[in-house]
Amino acid sequence: MALLEVTNLKTHFTTRDGVVRAVDGVSFSVEEGHTLAIVGESGSGKSVTALSLMRLIPDPPGKIIDGSIILRGDDVLKMDASTVRAMRGDRIAMIFQDPMTSLNPVFRVGFQIGEALRIHKGLSRKDAAARAVEMLDLVGIPNPAERARDYPHQFSGGMRQRAMIAMALACDPDVLIADEPTTALDVTIQAQILELMIELQQRKGTAIIMITHDLGVVADMADDVMVMYAGKQVEYGSAHDVFYQPLHPYTWGLLDSLPRHDIDEKGTLLPIEGQPPSLIDVPSGCAFHPRCPYAQDRCVKESPELREITAGHQAACHFAGEDGFVRGEAVPVTGEVA
Amino acid sequence: MNGRKKKAGVPFAQAGEPVDAGGHLLKDERPGAVAIPGAADIPASRKTRTLAGDAWLRLRKNKLAIAGLVWLVFIAVMTISADLWVPEFFADPTSTEFEGLEPPSAAHPFGTDRIGRDVFSRVVYGARPSLSVGVLAVSISLVLGLIFGALSGYYGGLLDSFIMRTADVFFAFPYMLFTIALLAVLGPGLQNVFIAIGILGWPSIARVFRSSILSVKETEYVDAARAMGASDLRIMSRHILPNAIAPIIVYGTMSIGGAIITEAALSYLGMGVQAPTPSWGSMLSEAKALMTAAPWLTIWPGFAILTTVLSFVLMGDGMRDALDVKMKD
Repeated sequence: MALLEVTNLKTHFTTRDGVVRAVDGVSFSVEEGHTLAIVGESGSGKSVTALSLMRLIPDPPGKIIDGSIILRGDDVLKMDASTVRAMRGDRIAMIFQDPMTSLNPVFRVGFQIGEALRIHKGLSRKDAAARAVEMLDLVGIPNPAERARDYPHQFSGGMRQRAMIAMALACDPDVLIADEPTTALDVTIQAQILELMIELQQRKGTAIIMITHDLGVVADMADDVMVMYAGKQVEYGSAHDVFYQPLHPYTWGLLDSLPRHDIDEKGTLLPIEGQPPSLIDVPSGCAFHPRCPYAQDRCVKESPELREITAGHQAACHFAGEDGFVRGEAVPVTGEVA
Repeated sequence: MNGRKKKAGVPFAQAGEPVDAGGHLLKDERPGAVAIPGAADIPASRKTRTLAGDAWLRLRKNKLAIAGLVWLVFIAVMTISADLWVPEFFADPTSTEFEGLEPPSAAHPFGTDRIGRDVFSRVVYGARPSLSVGVLAVSISLVLGLIFGALSGYYGGLLDSFIMRTADVFFAFPYMLFTIALLAVLGPGLQNVFIAIGILGWPSIARVFRSSILSVKETEYVDAARAMGASDLRIMSRHILPNAIAPIIVYGTMSIGGAIITEAALSYLGMGVQAPTPSWGSMLSEAKALMTAAPWLTIWPGFAILTTVLSFVLMGDGMRDALDVKMKD
C-alpha cells in the first residue's frame, strides 16, 4: 500500500453557469520519499486536485463528490472537521505559489514557522521559536537566529520561499504539496529552491506532490508524472516513460512546445493550437479532440478510458499503443472531422 | 509623516548577492548604511518581540501623535485628580459664590460665568463627561461593530446580508436626529448618551471592518494558515484581525473625537449632561448669548473640545503608521 492512494477523485464546483468539473475522476498514488509531478495547462485541475487532498476546497461552491484519499490507511474524505485540521500542516503540508504573499506581513518569520509546531505539537512559544531557528538553518538561511526576528518584507523572494518550505516541513509531514513553488521566482533561485527540496526530501523521506507546468522542473525532480487535461488524467507513468515514450498526443504537444537547446537551435516551437476547454461544457468524447491533430470520428463520440498501455504506464487515448502511433511518427489527420 | 521617512536600516542580503557569513551584504553602497558584524550589535528596534512593542517604537518617532498623546494624558490627569486640587486652589465647579462675568484674572484664570461660577474649574471638571463619553461610547460601538463586522466579513452569505441590511437601516436615519430620538425615548442624562452614541456608532465600524476583512481574507497567507491546520478562531484572531485592524484603529480613535463633539452637541441642546454638572457642550450652550460680551465663556470650552478632538485624530493617524510593519526603519 502506497503512502497516499487517491482513487477516482471528483471535485465539482456549482456555479451560476453550470457545474464545473474541475477534477473528474483522477487516481494516483505516491510512495514515501517519491515525487509525483502533476502537469498540465492552466485550468486543467492541478491545483484543485491538490486542494482536494487537503480538504481545502471552499464549500460552497465546491464539493468533493466522489472518490477516496487514503493517507497511511486513513480516508481523508471521511475525516471530521477537527481531524482534518489536525492533519493539515502536520501530515500533509503545502507550499504556495507566490512566496511574496503567502507569509503574514505582521508577524516575524520565526513566529510563523513556529506556529504549526504550536498548533500540532503543543510546543511552547519558546521551544517553537528555537525550533524555527533550526528550520531556517536547515533551509539554508544564513544567520538564522537573527533572521527569525525579521518580518517577511525584509526577506527576498527566494528567502521567503525557503521560509515557506521551513514552515511546511516544521512538523515533518508525510506529504508535501508544492503548488508551482518556483513559478514566481527568477531562474537562478528556482534551481536553488528545487535543489533544496530534493535535498530535504532525501534527508526526511517526505513524499512530494509537485504541481507545475514547467516540464524542466518535472525532469529535475519527478519519479512519476501525471498529465492532466480538462480535469482528467490523460497520461500517468514514471517520469522516464512519460518523457521518452509519451503516449498521449497532448503530452507530445506539451513536449513539442518546450524549447530545446540540445537538438536544433533554430527549430521553431510548436504550440498546441487553441485553448483549454471550459470545464462546464467539456467537448464530447475525448476532451482534447478539438485541438488534437490526430483526432478521428471515434474521438468525437467516445470518451477514451485511462488504460495501461505498458507496465505502469497509462494513457487515455483510443490509439495509444497502436503501431506507428508514437511521437514524431504519427501522421496528423487532415481535413475536417465529422 | 515622520514615520514614513526611510531610515538607514540593517542591510540584508537578497539571495544571489555577495554576502558574508552573517548573511549581510559584503558591499552596501546605500548612503548611511552601516555594516553590522554580528547579532550582538543589532539595534534595539530589531530586538523587541511583539507587534505592540514595535508599534510603540515607531509611534515615538511621530511627534504630532506624541503631542496628541501628551495632551490627552495631561487632560485626563487634570480631570481625574481634580477633586484633590481644584476646589482648594480655585473653586467648586458648581458654587456660585463669585461676582458674575468677571474676565480672566489671577484668582479666576478663565474668568467667571453669568451666575458667578469659576470657568477654569468648570472646564477641568467638564472634561469628565467628554472623555468618558468619548471612550465608553466608542468602546460600545467597537465591541458591537467588531463582532458584527467580523461575522459579516468572515462568514459572508445570509448572515452578512442580514447584518449589513440592519446597518443600512441605521444609516437611513440622519445621525443627529436618531440620537435625539433615542434620547427622547431613554431620557436625557450622561448614561443614556453613552448608550445612544454607542449603539449608533456600530454600523460604520462594522462596515469598515467587514471590507477590511474581505480584502485580507483572500490573501495567500490566510490560505497558508488554513493549510497549516489553523482553526477558524485562530485564523480570525491571528491572521485576519491584525492585518484588518489598522483602519479600525484609525476610525476608532477618530470617532472618539466625533463622540465628544456629539456629546457636546447634545449637552448644548440640553439632552446630555444636566445642570449644574459642567460639560464642555453645556458650557458652550450657556455662553451662546454672551459670546461677544464675555468671549472667555466660549473660548475656553471651545478650545478644550478642539484640542482634545484634534489630539485623538492625530493619535489615530500616528497609530495607523505605527501599526504598519512595512514602515519600519
